[in-house]
Amino acid sequence: MNMVNRFTAKYSAVIRMTWIQALEYKANSLVGTFAIISGVFIEYLLWKRIFLTRGVSVINGFTFGDLMVYIFLSLVVGQLKSSWITSLEMITAIREGELNKYLIRPISFFTYHFMLFIGYNSLFYLVYFFMIAGMIIFFPGWAFPSLLNIAGFLGTLIISVYLSYSVYFVMVCFAFWFGEVRALIIAYNLANMVLSGQMVPLRFFPDSVLKILRFTPLPYLVDLPVSIATGNLPVERWWTESLHSLFWSVAMTFIGLVVYREGIQRYEGFGG
Amino acid sequence: MAIQVNQLTKKFRIFKREAGLQGALRSFLHRQYEDFYALRDINLEIQSGEVLGILGENGAGKTTLIKLLVGLLHPTSGRVLIDGFTPWERKNDFLRNISIVMGQKNQLWWDIPAAESFLLNQKIYGIEDKQFRKTLDELVDLLDISSKLNTQVRRLSLGERMKMEIIAALLHRPKIVLLDEPTIGLDVVSQSKIRDFVKFYNEKRGTTILLTSHYMTDIQALCKRVFVIHKGRALYDGNFDILVNRVNPSKKLTFEFPEHPSAATIQKLENNFALRIEDRFLTAQLPDAELNELLVQLFNLHKPKSFSLEELPVEETMKAFFADPEKFV
Repeated sequence: MNMVNRFTAKYSAVIRMTWIQALEYKANSLVGTFAIISGVFIEYLLWKRIFLTRGVSVINGFTFGDLMVYIFLSLVVGQLKSSWITSLEMITAIREGELNKYLIRPISFFTYHFMLFIGYNSLFYLVYFFMIAGMIIFFPGWAFPSLLNIAGFLGTLIISVYLSYSVYFVMVCFAFWFGEVRALIIAYNLANMVLSGQMVPLRFFPDSVLKILRFTPLPYLVDLPVSIATGNLPVERWWTESLHSLFWSVAMTFIGLVVYREGIQRYEGFGG
Repeated sequence: MAIQVNQLTKKFRIFKREAGLQGALRSFLHRQYEDFYALRDINLEIQSGEVLGILGENGAGKTTLIKLLVGLLHPTSGRVLIDGFTPWERKNDFLRNISIVMGQKNQLWWDIPAAESFLLNQKIYGIEDKQFRKTLDELVDLLDISSKLNTQVRRLSLGERMKMEIIAALLHRPKIVLLDEPTIGLDVVSQSKIRDFVKFYNEKRGTTILLTSHYMTDIQALCKRVFVIHKGRALYDGNFDILVNRVNPSKKLTFEFPEHPSAATIQKLENNFALRIEDRFLTAQLPDAELNELLVQLFNLHKPKSFSLEELPVEETMKAFFADPEKFV
C-alpha cells in the first residue's frame, strides 16, 4: 500500500467512526442539524424590527431579503467551519493526559482531530447541501447568480473550514504551556462570530475596523465565501482574496506545527 | 538488545502554593515553582523477548519511565534506544512496533462496540485484512471475549474492557509491549486470566514485555527479573526470587506430631528455635539453614503424621521491602 492510500485509509476510517458514533445518538445529531433555524429566526425578528423602525428599505446596500440570505448563508458557513467543540476536546486531551492515546499510535494529532471534526459535521454538510440546493432551485434570484459563484463559494468554503481549524489548533497548543486555555477559545469564538461576518456583513463595520481586519484571517472565514455566494464581491477580486485566505491557511498550519513541536516537549502526560 | 537506557533523567517543574483562598490569591500574583526529579540517572538494558517487572511505591517513577520508553515524554537528559529508535522522535516505524496498555486510561471509543475500534486500529497500523482477521480471532479466543465484541465499550465490565484494551494494543503484533498496571481494580479471576494470557503471549510471540503492577502475584507469575525504582533512582535490577529471599529468607514449617509431644521435647525444641507448639502441631517461621536443622531434629525425634513447607506470601514480603527498600539492597 503506498503512502497516499495508507493516509486515505487511515483517516477515512476516523470519519467512518464519527458516523457510527453519530448514529448511536440519532436524536442529538438531528437536533444539532436544525439548530441553525433558531439562529435565522432570531436574526429575522431583529432585522425586521430595525428595518421597520428606521423606515428604510436598504441598509448599507442590503435589502431586507438580501440580508436574510446573507445571514442564512453566514450561519451555514459559520457552523460548518466552527471547530470549537473539537478544540475544547483537544485541550482536555492535553490537560488530562488523553493525548497519550494519539502519541503512541502512528497518527497525527492535528489530522486525526481535523478528520473527527469533518466527520462529526458530515450530517450538517448533507443537510445544508440540500437546503442550499433547494434555495437555488426554488428561489433562483436569491443567491448564486451563476455557476461560477457556486464553484467560488465551495472553494472558499473548503479553505475557510481548514483555516478555521488551523487557527483553533494554534490556540489549542497553548494548553501545553498554560494547561487551561478554554477561556481563550471561548473568547475567540465570540469575537470570531462578530468579526468574521457571521452575524452581520463586514461592510456594516466602520472602515477603520475593516482596515485592521484585513491583516487577520477573520474576513476569510465567513464573509468571503458568503460574499462570493451572494454576488457581493466582484469576480476580479476573487483570486486575490482567495490567495490571501490560502496564505493564512499555510501560515497558520506552519505556526501550529511549530507551536505543537515546542509544546509537545513540555507535555507531562498526566494520569495513569 | 531490545531496549537500552543510559543516564535517563526526567525533571518536572511543579507549581507550588499554600492551601486556602489566600494561598490561591498569593500564587495568582506570584507563582512559585520547584523542581521535582521523577527519575535520576537510570540505566537499564532489556533483551528481546524478556519480561521485566518495574517495581516501586506510588510516585517512585515507574510510570514516568514507561512514558519515556514509549515516547510520551521528553527526558531532561539521557538516552533511550529501542530497536535503534529514539522513542520521543515518534517515528512511524517505531510506533508500529511498540504498544502500551495503561490500566487507568483507555484508547477504545467509549460509545461504540470495541470491534469498531479494532477496525480503526487496523487502518491506523495498515494491517492487511488476512493478518488482522487472524490476529483478532486468536486474541479474542485466548481472552475468551468473543461474545462481547459487539457490545458498546461503556457497557462492558472493567475486566472485559481491559481485555478489549489488550486486544487493541496487540492487533499490530508489536515487538515491545508496556503494561502499566493492567490488572488494577480487577477481581482475582480476571487478574489471573490476564496474567495467564500475558505469559502465554510472551512465550508464543517472543514479545518483550515491561510490566508495572502493585499486585506482586502479577510480578511473581510473569517476571524473572525486576527493576526497582525508589524516589526516582534505580535501587535493584535482578532476579525477583533473589530479592524476595533477601527481604524475607524465612519459610513457614507446619509439622504434625503423630501424638502430643512430651513436655521435655517441647522444652528442648523451644530452647533452640523460635517456634510454637499447639496440641500436636508445631509451626515455625525460620530462615533456610535453621529450618533444615529443626527438620533434622524433628525427624530424629518423630516420624511426622504430616508436614508442610510454605514460602511466605510475596505481597507481605514486598510490603516489608517497600517500607524501607534501602535496607535490603
